[in-house]
Amino acid sequence: MKLLTFVHFLPVPAATLSELHDIGVTAGSTPILRGVDLVVRPGEVLGLFGANGAGKTTLLRVVATLLRPSAGVATVLGVDVTSPQRFDIRHRIGMIGHIPGLYPELTLGENLDFAASVAGVAPGGVEQALEAVGLLGAINRRAGASSHGMQRRAEFARELMLERDLLLLDEPHSALDQDAVELVNGLVGKIAAGGGAAILVSHDRGRVDAVADRSLELVAGSLR
Amino acid sequence: MQSDIPSRRWPWFAIGIAVAASVTVAMLSPADAVQGELVRIMYVHVPAAWLAYLAFGVTLIASIGYLLSRNLAWDRIAASSAEIGVYFTGLAIVLGMIWAKPTWGVWWTWDARLTLTAIMFFVYVGYLALRRTTDDRRARANRAAVLGVVGAVQIPLVHFSVVWWRTLHQPASILRPDGPAIQDPIMRVALLIAVIAFTVVYVSLMVKVAELHRVNDAAQAAEAGEHHPVAGASVTAPGLDPGVGNV
Amino acid sequence: MTPSFTSQVGAVVKRDLRRQRRRGDVLWITIPFGAVALLLMPLAVGTDAGLLQRIGPGMFWLTVMLFGVLVTVGRASVETQAQRDAASLLGLDPAAGYAGRSASAAALLLIYEVIVGAIAVVLYDIEVIGIPWLAVTLVLVAAGLGLLAALGASLVNSDSGGSALVPLLVAPLSVPLLLGATQAYEGLRLGSSILEWMLLMAAVVLSVAVVGVITARPLQES
Repeated sequence: MKLLTFVHFLPVPAATLSELHDIGVTAGSTPILRGVDLVVRPGEVLGLFGANGAGKTTLLRVVATLLRPSAGVATVLGVDVTSPQRFDIRHRIGMIGHIPGLYPELTLGENLDFAASVAGVAPGGVEQALEAVGLLGAINRRAGASSHGMQRRAEFARELMLERDLLLLDEPHSALDQDAVELVNGLVGKIAAGGGAAILVSHDRGRVDAVADRSLELVAGSLR
Repeated sequence: MQSDIPSRRWPWFAIGIAVAASVTVAMLSPADAVQGELVRIMYVHVPAAWLAYLAFGVTLIASIGYLLSRNLAWDRIAASSAEIGVYFTGLAIVLGMIWAKPTWGVWWTWDARLTLTAIMFFVYVGYLALRRTTDDRRARANRAAVLGVVGAVQIPLVHFSVVWWRTLHQPASILRPDGPAIQDPIMRVALLIAVIAFTVVYVSLMVKVAELHRVNDAAQAAEAGEHHPVAGASVTAPGLDPGVGNV
Repeated sequence: MTPSFTSQVGAVVKRDLRRQRRRGDVLWITIPFGAVALLLMPLAVGTDAGLLQRIGPGMFWLTVMLFGVLVTVGRASVETQAQRDAASLLGLDPAAGYAGRSASAAALLLIYEVIVGAIAVVLYDIEVIGIPWLAVTLVLVAAGLGLLAALGASLVNSDSGGSALVPLLVAPLSVPLLLGATQAYEGLRLGSSILEWMLLMAAVVLSVAVVGVITARPLQES
């Protein structure tokens, strides 16, 4: 699988890629996160663990600038996550959640075609990306008719196509066979080597510890 | 739970005085030469309709205020005003129908103003329904503010369309949808007093309803406060008893 | 390569129309529903030919307003949170997303209008006159309703079944379009001026487009 073709390097490494100070998130009247402090530096691969309902996905969405914290200050790629400028940096953040974000009616190729068009990637990138993840033969298969593992691979193909400085992965190894697991680890490693960073949320300590530089645990809404 | 937000009492007094004044002038003003005692409905119907337009106008201003500042206080004002507006629009429509049946022989007529009022009623019923179905506080404020602006921007266009339509379809009968022209100066003064009284009622209700929203928001924030356990704390490690079930 | 606003709009339109083509909600659910409504109305008001010919155009436009808006709430139109997040992180400008969804909704509405319109002409024996102006009317209504429906869809939580609220939000605001369309047809039939009705509908399209684009970013906040 050809990864090197796709990984792009940050022109000038920043001191930190993301800084969260005393972050709190509530859903209605239910606190999910409280007093979270987190710094993500260039070149880091961070593992994030925690029990069910601990708020791991919520934390990822804050870092992705998709969820506005109710307390604290968060900056990602130098931008306050509550400021209007957050829309301008979102294309530099990749996220693959545990629920696929593909459109089931569209084929895997069409899903990536949509991503390429929106992100301004050259049209040829779709086939290259799918080939890199071993899905070129399934380019015309509908996402809804593809297995969970295939959809995850397709989402990794999407991330391969795009220039990301920060990669956020929720359960990155789930539903993947060994080849695909190595693909994920390779991608994460290359992004970090290029000056980016990755955060991996997982229950699979063994696999994440193999690639992560450090690991943190969410307990009672805070990081340890 | 005791609220830290002081509960103002003066709005209740103001409402009491305003209602008393309104009822007094309605009962003391003379009966109409044509409508008789039925004219007294006018002293509630007209101010209620005025109040509805005022309330929705405030909702528009507060919605813009929220979108510019993201301050939830503006959202509380918009919501409070819309609630009051919907109730008084409904009141104006019902009273109008009660007045119309003995006067015109029909419960409803497709007069431009009535039609516009009915449409506005449903626009803001939709606004309130949207607020009810959005759980997240910030999302509720954002969405309601957008609808508050869109709805208000469309109202003038709805107004023109209905007026032009009615111009084309004037009834041949001698129905006077605009209602009687008020000749008697005492009645005019009485109506003015009623309008002022209802405006006082609106302001007073706004204070109390906005206070209620503030208390709700504060209660929600307090529930999510430092002493409240986070959601994840309710999940513990399972402890399967070997004697339970077939395990 | 920095994507342009129009290329992002184009990508969204392509996505939505592809999804619709595969799912077939509009062709197999919304259009038949509108046709059934036209079929049921004479059963409720009487089958007098003269009456039906008089109310036919209005009944058609009413089905467009009430059922056409459903093009934005079918399975092929709603997005899950995961899909919205993924699109957001592609750098999709919220305004481009709104413009694209509105344009695809308008295209689907136009298809609805043409097919259900033809059924109305047959069932109600409606006279088809002033075809160029009728075409303009169809386009203006499709555009205005598409913009309103897309805005309505972005205001609700489609994940938790909030889509049922969209018709209630859109219907009262679509009155100028309803009156504009019906009165424009009447004007064509009677040979009187229809300019003010066309301008009214165009004003709806413009005002909703402007407000929708301006408020697209605030609406995306969680």
